[in-house]
Amino acid sequence: MTYFENRQPLVADIFSRYPDSPQGRRSALMPLLREVQDAEGFVSESRMAEIAALCGTTATEVRSVMSFYSTYHTLPTGRYHLQVCSTLMCALAGSDELWDHLVETLDVQPGEVSADGRFSVQKVECLGSCGTAPMMQIGDDGYYENVGPGKCARILASLRQDLQPLPDNPVPVTVGTDGRQVLATGQAVGSSVTGLHRLPEQAGGDA
Amino acid sequence: MKVHVDGIEVELPAGTSAIDAVFQSGGDVPYFCAHKYLSPVGACRMCLVESGSPRKNPDGSFVMEGEGDAATPKIFWFPKPMASCTMQATEGMHIRTAKTSEVVAKAQAGMMEFTLLNHPLDCPTCDKGGACELQDRAFEYGYGASRFGFDRRHADKHYPLSDFVILDQERCIHCKRCVRYFEEVPGQEVLDFIERGGHTFIDTEEGGLPTGFSGNITDICPVGALLDNVARFRGRNWEYDHTPTTCTLCPVGCSITVDARNGRLERIVAGENRDVNEAWICDAGRFGHPFASEERLTTPLIRDEDGQLVPATWDAAIDAMKRGFSGMRTADIALYLGADSTLEEGAALEALAGVTGARSVDHSPRYEVSVTAPQATLTDVATADAVVVIGADLGEEAPVLELRILEMLRGGLIPPEFAHGTAIADLRLVERPARRPERLAVIGQESRLWAHAGHRVSANGRGALARLTHPDTDELRAVLALLEGAERPVIILGADVLNGASGSFSANLSDLAARTGAKVIAIPAAANSRGLAALNLVPRAGGLPLSRLPEAAAAFISRLDPGTRAAGFTVVHDTHLTATAQQADVVLPAVTNYEKRGTVQNLEGRLLPLHPAAIRTGEAADLIRTLTALAEALGVKAPARGLRGAHALLADRVGLNLSDLPARGALHTFHQTFAAPAAPHTPKLWTERMRSRDRDWVDRIQDLVEGGWTLPVAPAAPQPGGDD
Repeated sequence: MTYFENRQPLVADIFSRYPDSPQGRRSALMPLLREVQDAEGFVSESRMAEIAALCGTTATEVRSVMSFYSTYHTLPTGRYHLQVCSTLMCALAGSDELWDHLVETLDVQPGEVSADGRFSVQKVECLGSCGTAPMMQIGDDGYYENVGPGKCARILASLRQDLQPLPDNPVPVTVGTDGRQVLATGQAVGSSVTGLHRLPEQAGGDA
Repeated sequence: MKVHVDGIEVELPAGTSAIDAVFQSGGDVPYFCAHKYLSPVGACRMCLVESGSPRKNPDGSFVMEGEGDAATPKIFWFPKPMASCTMQATEGMHIRTAKTSEVVAKAQAGMMEFTLLNHPLDCPTCDKGGACELQDRAFEYGYGASRFGFDRRHADKHYPLSDFVILDQERCIHCKRCVRYFEEVPGQEVLDFIERGGHTFIDTEEGGLPTGFSGNITDICPVGALLDNVARFRGRNWEYDHTPTTCTLCPVGCSITVDARNGRLERIVAGENRDVNEAWICDAGRFGHPFASEERLTTPLIRDEDGQLVPATWDAAIDAMKRGFSGMRTADIALYLGADSTLEEGAALEALAGVTGARSVDHSPRYEVSVTAPQATLTDVATADAVVVIGADLGEEAPVLELRILEMLRGGLIPPEFAHGTAIADLRLVERPARRPERLAVIGQESRLWAHAGHRVSANGRGALARLTHPDTDELRAVLALLEGAERPVIILGADVLNGASGSFSANLSDLAARTGAKVIAIPAAANSRGLAALNLVPRAGGLPLSRLPEAAAAFISRLDPGTRAAGFTVVHDTHLTATAQQADVVLPAVTNYEKRGTVQNLEGRLLPLHPAAIRTGEAADLIRTLTALAEALGVKAPARGLRGAHALLADRVGLNLSDLPARGALHTFHQTFAAPAAPHTPKLWTERMRSRDRDWVDRIQDLVEGGWTLPVAPAAPQPGGDD
């Protein structure tokens, strides 16, 4: 069964954001990938082929774009996808120990999901929370900061009972389904501040 | 436009890239990602140069430097070196290469160090060694040492992208040539970068590369990452005997270089001929060469007392032919030859038929119809504004013609020529080019070209041309309108329409061409069918065509495999023991077209030279020499005893002087053509023998080991005269 088969209004909405040309159709690649990943936790090969067909490109192109971003997954992820920052500041503050501890206690390697389906782990580059290193992000939910041994144990214990503790900070900027960037407070940022407008034809907006 | 390169002033056409300016001035810049027939992307950053341009004041005068008459326009230099392949040279620009600039030399050496960081040092076992751009440039422009003291990246060293192409991911330097090639040339986006940064590798998600034109990426890979799997580990580049010649598997006549080692044909790489194949050849032409070295006939075979074919000498074979043909009128012996034989061989056979008075003469495959409409060249196809392909499966008939049509669809750009050759980085070539499918119409059976065509009409080949002349559907009307509205239309005709085309066909075609101003390419049935049609190699009055071979009293058949034999004595001249050869009374060993010297005429009427590669062929002989043996057996004088004699025959017969044919070939139109009814011909590019049949290397090595073979090692004792 294909994912977008019975989601035609959504597909039409995504395509409506881009010029109605072969190049424009290709631009819809990212939101389509995000849609599948949000729903399924990862993008399988059959989904890549499906998106390729929708965008009028090839599965190779889809995989190429997708593999460029570490936030898209080709393998299934657990209910709690733990992303441990491993860049300099966190590394100095002990992210390697945090990582080793997670891998050991959860018994998962990157690309795997723990036996109970709860956990998967990933090393990521700087998430911009260097002042509170070491830190990790769970799913898209938010930042867990200053994660020392005690805090880590508490977080894992709650997650095992499916009681996810509230993050210390929400993810600073999120992109909504409508493609607009907002702060955790709901304040629009980036180009969303002035709203997304169609450029005038003469300005070469659609050229 | 004047540009100064290292102090040398060169005059260049507007739009030239800086890298071409340097090459035009006689200088050198190292580059990996730029390629003559691909868009410049600036991926490898090796072609760095310092550049600067004069600047104008608001009043239009130049900003000057110096006093009075000595004042010259001041050159404003870019603060950092720039990639010259993606930079356009402008009026008055100054460029400094590594020759005159320390900064550039250091930047290039630094880039080279980066490129080599993760490149494995396996040159001694790499097939590209000796012909590797990275090796050469590292020697010329590198530091010669690496300061990187850590582990290199390790990845899959034997990653098959298809049966024919193997990727060594460690060797890849991410120049993106192969990715751009697939996007821009055959229009198949099947290869791309996966992951990013140091983890980047090349892969396909389509379950392997499509067969067709995939082998070209092994040519353009600047390192040993993409390798031709047929030739892999078969020899080093300096061991090969390189022979530039012409491919005769189809009528396009691509330029190729045949590499042989120890008498075996090991590898074929594309040659460059801007008029024919640019730098690309098809997979059949590249990988389909095992037949030239496998299961070849190396001596004549004659029947022994038990009726078995046994090896014999040429003298014994001539004696056997003498006995076989004795008591027979020479005119009764039918003479047939394959239509990929050279013009020289055709002339020799025609002349011998004149001497023996043979009426049954034929060459195959061929079509009955001879097209008189104006001839289009392949360059015409690439620069056309409308192409209509009727009844052709180009993938089987003339693959590279398909590439030239795709070139037309992306704008028909042909890089201009400089003194140093084709532009290295033509800035008009763009990545992911916009194609114009509305310029291409395909009428006939479904084929690979359909995916690129704006007009597709499913039709049975036979009446397709008549239906186009008097369109009965809207689709056909649109195609006719396309032809009529175009300024430089080209019509391409394939086997489906040419098979069984009647006399009125040529007239109708000429009418249509005259009405629309179209030029025509009728794809010949075989590599040299077009050239051989100029010679009287068709059945004369009362003669038998090849299809009626079993009725012939006796026959001599050269490099054809009809699978039958003549009623009487049959001599077969072939490279392999084919089904026909197995039924013959005498089998004479032939050479393949890789081993011939001669001339063929391709589908656009271009005469192209063949040169013999160094392949071990035993006593095999080409048709000219074989015909002298036949003449001896028949007791007549052979009209041509060698290539020069055949050239004399051709000069005499059709006024053709082949002695000074340029390497790129020359267009030639024969004034007279001979036509006769022909059997239908189904074009097929790949034949069974073109795939290697002895792949059991392990077994062969086992045999050698068990046979007591040891590695030939130089004896330990000192050699007289030293051991160098």
